[in-house]
Amino acid sequence: MSTTPPRPRAIGLVAATLALLRKDLLIEWRTRARLNAIIFFALATLLMFSFALGPDTKLLEKNAGGYFWLAILFASVLALGESFRVESENACMDGVRLAPADARAIFLSKALGNTLLLTALGALLVPVMVALYGVRIVTSFMDLGLILLLGCLALSAPGTVYAAISSNARARDVLLPLLLFPLVIPALLSAAKATTLVLQGDPMNQFNSWLGLLGGFNLIYWGVGFVLFPRIIED
Amino acid sequence: MNKFIKWGLLVLALGLLGAGWWLGLAWAPPDREMGDVQRIMYVHVPLQWMAMLAMFINFVAAVAYLFKASWKLDSAAEASAEIGLVLGTAGMITGAIWGRPTWGVYWSWDPRLTSEAIMLVTYTGYLVLRRFVEDPEKRATWSAVVAIIGAINLPIVWFSVRWWRSLHQVQSSPRTVDPEMVLPLRVSAFGMLFITLFFMAVRYRQALAERQAEVALPDALPGDVPMSASHNPSKVA
Amino acid sequence: MMTLSTLMLLAQVGSGRIQGGWGYVWACYAITIATLALYALSLWVRRPRASPDAKE
Repeated sequence: MSTTPPRPRAIGLVAATLALLRKDLLIEWRTRARLNAIIFFALATLLMFSFALGPDTKLLEKNAGGYFWLAILFASVLALGESFRVESENACMDGVRLAPADARAIFLSKALGNTLLLTALGALLVPVMVALYGVRIVTSFMDLGLILLLGCLALSAPGTVYAAISSNARARDVLLPLLLFPLVIPALLSAAKATTLVLQGDPMNQFNSWLGLLGGFNLIYWGVGFVLFPRIIED
Repeated sequence: MNKFIKWGLLVLALGLLGAGWWLGLAWAPPDREMGDVQRIMYVHVPLQWMAMLAMFINFVAAVAYLFKASWKLDSAAEASAEIGLVLGTAGMITGAIWGRPTWGVYWSWDPRLTSEAIMLVTYTGYLVLRRFVEDPEKRATWSAVVAIIGAINLPIVWFSVRWWRSLHQVQSSPRTVDPEMVLPLRVSAFGMLFITLFFMAVRYRQALAERQAEVALPDALPGDVPMSASHNPSKVA
Repeated sequence: MMTLSTLMLLAQVGSGRIQGGWGYVWACYAITIATLALYALSLWVRRPRASPDAKE
């Protein structure tokens, strides 16, 4: 219970991660159910913000960055929960665990898979946001892409750890947001701020400090997840 | 012997709290700017300190649990999280009430207030997780992981909220505090410390008894154990 | 420490001394006492029963 039994290390961490990631992406690609579901969910969320606030274009334009990230956050809860539900069917998780691969590879593959999914979602949402909220990308597309990638990485690392926990608990649909939302506040805050700066100009050059905060958040939680994840899925 | 320590702790705590609060309410001078409202400090600050202490104990117990699993550490983590949540909630409510006459609002998005609110949500999540996992070993490991991640998050939240607010907030300069305010604060803080320790001791023993009952349950189930016995340890979910 | 700096911040807000406000003070003490008492009560309610065959 206190220590993990030594596992046979037949393949390296990177190779195992890539193999698992390939497996997850293949499953995802065969049905595309998860991607479709979260795309429609996020689109609906963006639309609902417009309806909830009325047709005040100034307000929508001003807060677009925040709504964009809230839509991604809500969709991420669905995506993260689903990423482990795939494994719990037919006890696939036991099979993955029995494979002679490092348990940390499971974390890396799941978290990377979730990052890819969320980044794809975010990339699709950007044009919708531009159209719905009437915003312009003032600084550069590169900045927005960087923020999108870092923000999705930041949601995925702690999200994967918590999804692994909550997928095995009762009331997992309640538990995941309850655990995840307070945790990702720094990431959400910096991503939303940085996105707003991209959309409205950055006269005081604050973009890099938000980027730095997001980067630090990523470093910490990818590190923590990498170290602690094996403890979660051990039996 | 143990009983004497336990009840002695409670008596000591109540005595010190009573004395500290009496000093704070009747003996200490009113604050230069805040007047009598400042007397909220003697209840608010000890609550916050002890909430911090409890959360720190929770973090230490969680880390220790991952290194060396034991029901004692798990019980200590559960007890400290619950007590920290209670004290922190009371601390936040008194802080909000204090904010009303001084800031004019109950809630400002001050980094400290905001971080504390996030901390309370984090530990609520922690306790809810503990309720939703039946297997005691899994519950202990998972909640230790959640506790560590949540505790790491708190400084990050603090910095990020400070940055988030920094554009329109003035950093304040140090100011000396009247020594006559230090004594009541110190006495009530010690009172709060002892009452926290008392609660912690009681709650810890409860948690430990629950764990032991849970672990013993599978052996007790088959056979002719009376219903009341197998029902006793079950927790209200 | 936290309240020392809160105090400092508060000190800058108003120049004159706040008058009265005992209602807020009593409310804080009452809420704290009630919270502690309720928690003590909840501990009492959840106390481990001595042994299965002692009662019932």
